[in-house]
Amino acid sequence: MGGYTWDFSAITRNWDQLMDGLAVTLQLTGICTVIGLVGGFLVCLMAMSRLAPLRWIAVAFIELFRCTPALVQIIWIFYCVPFFFGVFFDPFLMAVLALGMNITAFNAEAYRAAIQAIPSSHEDACTALGLSPLKKTVYVILPQALLMATPVLLTNTIGLLQQTSLVAIVAIADLMYQGKTLATQTYRPIEIYTAVAFIYFAFSLPLSQVVGLWERRLRSRLA
Amino acid sequence: MNISAALGFLWEYRQALLIGLGNTLYFTALGLLVGLVIGFVVSVVRTAGHPLLKLVATGYVEVFRGTPMLIQLFWFFFCLPALLGVELGNVFSTILTLSLYMGAISSESFRAALKAIGTEQRDACIALGLPGRVSVPYVILPQTVMRAVPTLLSNCVTLFKESALVSTVGMADLMYQGQMIADSTARPIEILTATALIYFIIAFATTRIVTFYEQGYLARMRL
Repeated sequence: MGGYTWDFSAITRNWDQLMDGLAVTLQLTGICTVIGLVGGFLVCLMAMSRLAPLRWIAVAFIELFRCTPALVQIIWIFYCVPFFFGVFFDPFLMAVLALGMNITAFNAEAYRAAIQAIPSSHEDACTALGLSPLKKTVYVILPQALLMATPVLLTNTIGLLQQTSLVAIVAIADLMYQGKTLATQTYRPIEIYTAVAFIYFAFSLPLSQVVGLWERRLRSRLA
Repeated sequence: MNISAALGFLWEYRQALLIGLGNTLYFTALGLLVGLVIGFVVSVVRTAGHPLLKLVATGYVEVFRGTPMLIQLFWFFFCLPALLGVELGNVFSTILTLSLYMGAISSESFRAALKAIGTEQRDACIALGLPGRVSVPYVILPQTVMRAVPTLLSNCVTLFKESALVSTVGMADLMYQGQMIADSTARPIEILTATALIYFIIAFATTRIVTFYEQGYLARMRL
């Protein structure tokens, strides 16, 4: 192993700084998850709407954000939004904007797949019962879509947690950024980067276990 | 903004962007090739292998899916060479990271495909008295591959998009070239938009192929 001597004091001494970064990472993840869950459903409804222009806008939005790298989206929004709109928001807000739109596009697809899996007999039943479109959406479509889409939505959330590390590139002090700073400050990149990786992993692993559990339950319910 | 002036400006830098695109495609292609092999082997080990090997394979997949690719990249660039005490070379580290990432995500696709072949297919093979050397290559394998193709193609798109991250460690891919030109000319809008569009066109075309394949071929085969 090249005779490397490990020194974990670089981590223990700077633990508070890493935890500050983690707090920013979790805040970003939390806020964007909420945006994605609500926004994704709305965009999905737009993409399945009968009004063609509404559908086009939603589909264009989804495809644009799904087919470009998240890094490009973040850099683009940081550089170009101030140019086009003459405003410069707080960097954190810009990051929320970029990551929020990204997760919204991915969640919209998850909802769409789930809604398409709802049997058409339910649609007929709603018509037979004379439910209004709003009632149908809220009481029949949404609960089932949420239930079926949950594994994918959770997987997207895990993806989001990892994508938030990209904001380090635009100098937002998240976990990745603190790790980068500490790695150069302490000359201990191996210990620091390994610790940062483990912190991300510690949050992703339980989530991915929940996904597996939910999928198994869904399968046994549907079987 | 003047469109023709913007296009003229972009045309001046076409060479630099093309070199970047070439590098992006080169990294993606090599990462794909090695990653698919790793993914297949890992999925077979996880489905039917020695318990210890299974544990190692599962650990590998969970770690690479549960940590941001950015940290993996930093780890392989800055930590692994120091740990091993050898110079790995930038291109090697880049392709190593992309391959291991692709291996982890594609192994899940292969595994899902292996699982998705219903037990009735295996039962039918037994009922027909087909030995393993006939049933595996003629019944199981073709279905696995055909089923896995759509998700594997989406994995390719994911890898293609994630490869933009190598720009953060100074590899001259499309994103890196785009940012360099944007910074040196102070005209980010044209260049960054063009960069995003190039990514979009390639990724979008690939996702269309996936949909086409799923709706046409797979639907006809009733898989």
